[in-house]
Amino acid sequence: MKGLERELAALSDAVEWPDVPDLAPVVAGRLGDAPRRPGLARRPLAIAVAVVLAAVLAVLAVPPARTAILDWLGIGGARIVRVDELPPLPLHQDLEVLGRPATLADARAQAGFRFADPPRDEPRPDEVRLAPGLRVSYLWRDGADARLIVTQFPGRVGDPALLKKLAGDATRIERFAIDGDTAVWLEGGPHVVLFVAPDGLIRDDHGWLAGNTLLVDRDGTTVRVEGALDRADAVDLVRAMPASPSSGG
Amino acid sequence: MGSRPPDEETLVARAKRGETTAYEELVRMHQGIAFRVALVAAGDRGDAEEAAQDAFVKAYRALGRFREGSPFRPWLLRIVANEARNRRRSAGRRSGLALRAAAVVSGDAAPSPETTALTLERREALLGGLAALDERDREVLVHRFLLELGEEETAAALGIRRGTVKSRTSRALDRLRAVVGEEVA
Repeated sequence: MKGLERELAALSDAVEWPDVPDLAPVVAGRLGDAPRRPGLARRPLAIAVAVVLAAVLAVLAVPPARTAILDWLGIGGARIVRVDELPPLPLHQDLEVLGRPATLADARAQAGFRFADPPRDEPRPDEVRLAPGLRVSYLWRDGADARLIVTQFPGRVGDPALLKKLAGDATRIERFAIDGDTAVWLEGGPHVVLFVAPDGLIRDDHGWLAGNTLLVDRDGTTVRVEGALDRADAVDLVRAMPASPSSGG
Repeated sequence: MGSRPPDEETLVARAKRGETTAYEELVRMHQGIAFRVALVAAGDRGDAEEAAQDAFVKAYRALGRFREGSPFRPWLLRIVANEARNRRRSAGRRSGLALRAAAVVSGDAAPSPETTALTLERREALLGGLAALDERDREVLVHRFLLELGEEETAAALGIRRGTVKSRTSRALDRLRAVVGEEVA
């Protein structure tokens, strides 16, 4: 260890850390109703989200009934649903929903669908995440948060990867074309992304309040670009993404 | 992995079967580091305590998804850091904890000779230098050196790859060195 590293390590003891509270008794008191098996946790929030989505789907299934839904658009594997009121999802990103960290080579071998390589002339993504058969994501980070996420997923309607966006009234939604591919741009107001898990369930940590979003349908794969960028930049980014020659499918 | 207490795996297995006393033991084992990681991420003592508490409960609920045989601490710290960051964001705080040098070096154990050798001025200079770094640089150095986390644990807590921890640490050290210099040992 070099001098500065040694000094920093020594600094650990020299910082005014507050006393560590004994968390064990309080935590133990809260475990009573905690389920021990995965998949059974259903907090009220999760139930609320599931109910909203179920209502949205139910209404969609019966075209004349449009009480809760103001508008909706479909593109590739994504459905954008405009609703009166957004579900009360917390403002956070849970990147686990995007799958596990992987190398690009792993993603190509295991994705199970065709997807495009990371954009040329851009810094390499900080992370590639893979949910085999469901989605491949490129992440560019700003500290612990993702500042830009490009996710690709199979575009077949009814695919388990089907992504839903619930858009509030304030969100501007524009449909246009990029080199002949259908695209949708969402900007402005908050919109919520819901991912449906492989088992068809929606869990409480599977949504976040999204930034500006571009959705493009490219040869049966949907590309979703999301982050603090404007429409022109998002379009450039998608144009710079070459189709992967070795993507499985 | 070698530093893991030998009975941690057993405790995790017992907790998975629903033995809350085993989980309580795990909480005691890791609450110190969990609280400090939460403190650094949340930037507030009260939020850190609540975040660590919630994270332990969440982790218990998620134990079924925990891969047996893998180290528990990085997995836990990832949940803790996420909770704490969410609280920081909800509170509208831009950055994590502002660290202060203790006027008198204290702690559970006797300070190391290296700690004793650091003058108060030097400690303040180092902390000032850390504070002047951009957040990404600062957080990686704080996790690696002040919280004494390994690369895997730092990667988990910051939600970045292990290789990124390595490269970011090296760059951050260079930047800090440019600000505070390096005392020759």
